[in-house]
Amino acid sequence: MTSRAGVVRAFLAKDLRIHARDRFYVVVTIVGLVFYIGVFWLLPDSVDETLHLGVHVQDAPAEALTDLVGDAEGFEVTSFGSADDLEDAVDAGDPVVAGLDLPAGFLQAIAAGDDVTVRVLLRADAPEELRPALSGMVRELAFVLVGEQPPVTAPDLETAVLGVDRAGEQLSLRDQLRPVFVVLALFVEMFALASLVAGEIQQRTITAVLTTPARISDVLAAKTVIGMLLAFSQAAIIVVATGAATRGPMLLAVALLLGAILVTGVGLIAGSLGKDFVEVVFWSFLIGLPVMIPAFGALFPGSAPGWIQVLPGHGLVEVMVRTTAYGEGFTEAFPYLGMLAAWCGLVFVLGVVLLRRRVVRL
Amino acid sequence: MDRVLVVEGISYAYGDTVAVDDVSFDLGPGEVLGVLGPNGAGKSTTIKMLTGQLEPRSGRISVLGLDLQRHRDAIQARIGVCFEEKNVYPTLSGRENLAFFARLFGLRDIDLDGLLARVGLQERGRDRVSNYSKGMRQRLMIARTLLNEPDVLFLDEPTDGLDPVSARTIRRLVRDEAERGAAVLLTTHDMYEADELSDRVAFIDRGRVLAMDTPEALKLVHGTRSVRVRLRGGSGVEEHVVELDGEAAAERLRDLVHGGDVLTIHTEEATLEDVFVEFAGRGLT
Repeated sequence: MTSRAGVVRAFLAKDLRIHARDRFYVVVTIVGLVFYIGVFWLLPDSVDETLHLGVHVQDAPAEALTDLVGDAEGFEVTSFGSADDLEDAVDAGDPVVAGLDLPAGFLQAIAAGDDVTVRVLLRADAPEELRPALSGMVRELAFVLVGEQPPVTAPDLETAVLGVDRAGEQLSLRDQLRPVFVVLALFVEMFALASLVAGEIQQRTITAVLTTPARISDVLAAKTVIGMLLAFSQAAIIVVATGAATRGPMLLAVALLLGAILVTGVGLIAGSLGKDFVEVVFWSFLIGLPVMIPAFGALFPGSAPGWIQVLPGHGLVEVMVRTTAYGEGFTEAFPYLGMLAAWCGLVFVLGVVLLRRRVVRL
Repeated sequence: MDRVLVVEGISYAYGDTVAVDDVSFDLGPGEVLGVLGPNGAGKSTTIKMLTGQLEPRSGRISVLGLDLQRHRDAIQARIGVCFEEKNVYPTLSGRENLAFFARLFGLRDIDLDGLLARVGLQERGRDRVSNYSKGMRQRLMIARTLLNEPDVLFLDEPTDGLDPVSARTIRRLVRDEAERGAAVLLTTHDMYEADELSDRVAFIDRGRVLAMDTPEALKLVHGTRSVRVRLRGGSGVEEHVVELDGEAAAERLRDLVHGGDVLTIHTEEATLEDVFVEFAGRGLT
């Protein structure tokens, strides 16, 4: 007599064999993993917030000035022997991204209270906020050089940051891209599952299976396990290979498992709706998009907009970022895990219902 | 057990379209029942209901003494189904296809090579099915059907569109299985196949069974028999058809044979298609 577990095991072995023989997925999976992990380690692992500033003083040694400016927090000042050298350096963005070109007689003019013009050099792609910052800096510099205080007394500042203060903890490009790589890997495996499901329907092998002692619940269980296995293993490989597994491994495992269930549900939906390869691709992208968007949203600074926060992939991305970059634990991740779990339940149930309906109608 | 398959008044409709309408028949061990009808007559829907793929809207199906609705698992472990479409896994080898289905039946240590040899695929068992011809795929499906040595075989158009060699192999296997004692329900729209293989034939059209009997009885009772005589006469070759429907026919035949230079004499009997046309008012295609 056939056991239910035996039927599911038979399906798993068969599906793994079919998957391993699909050259497209094998190549995409291996190339994807190598690419993601390779790119990750090529990216900078920290955020350089220092402003590299070039200075040229036409008729005086620049050391005094550079020492003065260089004392300011967040600045690294390089002096240049000529205005042309400074312009070239700023234009190239190496080693400076902005420059101050002080005219001849600058110090004397400042001391005498005469009008003088300072050229501020900026690269075309320099942040917009850099321009007023440098202007203010030049004015303040003038007061310092002549030994006077600015004409107004600066008020004391009391800064209140609402929420967790992430100042000085900006995400490195590596940390920003890790969720993207994980979600891309999940997406490929979701597509692979959708193809397996669609193939079973298109080739009508499912009808042959259902005239044996195998039940449709066995087929659903097997497809769920294979989908989760493929998706979770790919995501886990990326997390381990990018050195994030040591930071909250249990929490990450739970998040990845939920992510794997989520894409398995999406794979079941896409596989059930797609009548051929093109339709499977179409549905996979359409339904997979809300899973991917939050990962790409994490590339931009600041909190995700409200519409991204309600998407299925947001919980996974938030947990990954908060755990791997900020060392947060289960307590902080709970709301995001809850939301992810709710999406998993909804999408997975929908996938199961659609697949069951499709099979019955064959 | 006298009757291994008992079907009582089953019906099925796709929306408002009635596909099977109050169909009843039974089948004994070792018996081959050919279900003959044109495309869309309800043959495949009937098989789907008999194999548990569809639930009848009404009626009752008993297989091996068990009610299909209540004992589907137990029944499906003892039946074999061969489908009209070639539903095998193309990226697996023939042997791997059989091994997978054997595991679904919970079968271990099964002689897959022997089974492949029965259908003439012993040399190609390790090749991927994607490299098989249509006939080879069909023979593989037959091998899959025989995996569990089924007590009842359901064969849906098993030789449709096949080359003569593959068709002959499959017909031989059907006879072998019937000799083993398996009951065989065979759907086809090939009247010669039905005539050759079936102990009884059921005509089905528009979802209803029109007639059911042995092929001989159907042809004798519902068809006409005749003798076609060609002879050389004064005005050239003459052809005469004599209906064998009484004593007058014998007399007329005697006159023809003695009255001229006989070139050929052919007996002609009704085909199953002729009988089907008489019942359905249309042909099998």
